[in-house]
Amino acid sequence: MHELSLVRSLLAQVNRIRSDRAGLAVDGVHVEVGPLSGVEPELLVSAFEQLAGDFGMTGTQLVIDEVPLMANCPSCGTVTVEPVRIRCPICGDDGVTIVSGDEVRLQSVTIQCPEPEEQAL
Amino acid sequence: MTQQTIAVGRDVRAEARQRAAELRESFTRRGILAVNLLSSPGAGKTTLLQATARHWQGRRRMAVLVGDLATDRDAQRLAPLAPTVQLTTGGACHLELPLVERGLERLGELDCEFLFIENIGNLVCPASHDLAEHLRVIVLSTTEGDDKPGKYPKAFRTSQILVINKTDLLPHVPFSIDAAVADALLIQPQLRSVAVSAHRGDAIGDWCALLEQAHSELILNGHVCHSNR
Ligand SMILES: Nc1nc2c(ncn2[C@@H]2O[C@H](COP(=O)(O)OP(=O)(O)OP(=O)(O)O)[C@@H](O)[C@H]2O)c(=O)[nH]1
Ligand SMILES: [Mg+2]
Ligand SMILES: [Zn+2]
Repeated sequence: MHELSLVRSLLAQVNRIRSDRAGLAVDGVHVEVGPLSGVEPELLVSAFEQLAGDFGMTGTQLVIDEVPLMANCPSCGTVTVEPVRIRCPICGDDGVTIVSGDEVRLQSVTIQCPEPEEQAL
Repeated sequence: MTQQTIAVGRDVRAEARQRAAELRESFTRRGILAVNLLSSPGAGKTTLLQATARHWQGRRRMAVLVGDLATDRDAQRLAPLAPTVQLTTGGACHLELPLVERGLERLGELDCEFLFIENIGNLVCPASHDLAEHLRVIVLSTTEGDDKPGKYPKAFRTSQILVINKTDLLPHVPFSIDAAVADALLIQPQLRSVAVSAHRGDAIGDWCALLEQAHSELILNGHVCHSNR
């Protein structure tokens, strides 16, 4: 179970984005998780619920998109591949490079920001 | 008050990966090949390292960082054979880079050609953490079943060498080396494999030759073929 340390790192990154924008509350955090990301979405959610409060994000919603494993085939371009059979489904080439689905990707953060004039005051 | 959605589009582990890449670069400059050993509990990582140290005795220099949940048992087995530092995770199921960095400080001046990092026995979590290794090695023992590669695709995809251990038990267990290797190759076609008995010492020379070859490549080209994506 390494989701806790991953979520701690995720929350720290979100906090940095919030303070860069002088943001207030964080409404939502959107991540993408693929078959080779090495994390369980359910465990990610429970780790998030457990730790969000420590980062001032009680009530922040974690949205997880489960995405397929995508690879680049030298002849066919971007293709979807099976995690247990990593090769191009069109031409069979196994010399493909994974382009997504092997990481936990922070896609976006939704925050409450003061209006520009409020900020000036 | 306005609501803003800020697009990020970055791997949460990008920063950790960058730090690992820098440490790897510093190993490369010092001519040290770093090897991260992954396996299920008890597949024989420590026994393999003991056999490796004995095989190289007086010819090649190695050092070991050995991860353990709580005890120093593996470190005690290795310390008589090579400079060894124990990394205690306090219950965590995998090693992370900061722990490796602290272990390196305790090892002191690194006078070696090979640095082994024995990870915690677990085929899931360690696969997601770059520990600055040049080579990731997965040890699969014949008592675990030859269908394991497909069940742990991330660990196999990100490894460069597969060591099948406990070949001395083949007469007693239903395990086909060919089937295990074939399954692993579906996930990582570049995977090199070697079948050994760490306990008896069978084919330890072949395993060491793979490592020596990787070390020569590192010295010659400044990198070892890395195929983890
Ligand atoms: N028969 C046989 N037993 C082996 C072999 N290699 C290791 N063992 C035995 O398997 C058990 C586990 O070996 P270890 O070397 O401790 O395995 P490990 O992967 O380091 O274990 P953890 O660090 O606890 O995950 C020990 O009892 C070893 O003696 C082998 O080649 N053949
Ligand atoms: Mg061990
Ligand atoms: Zn193709």
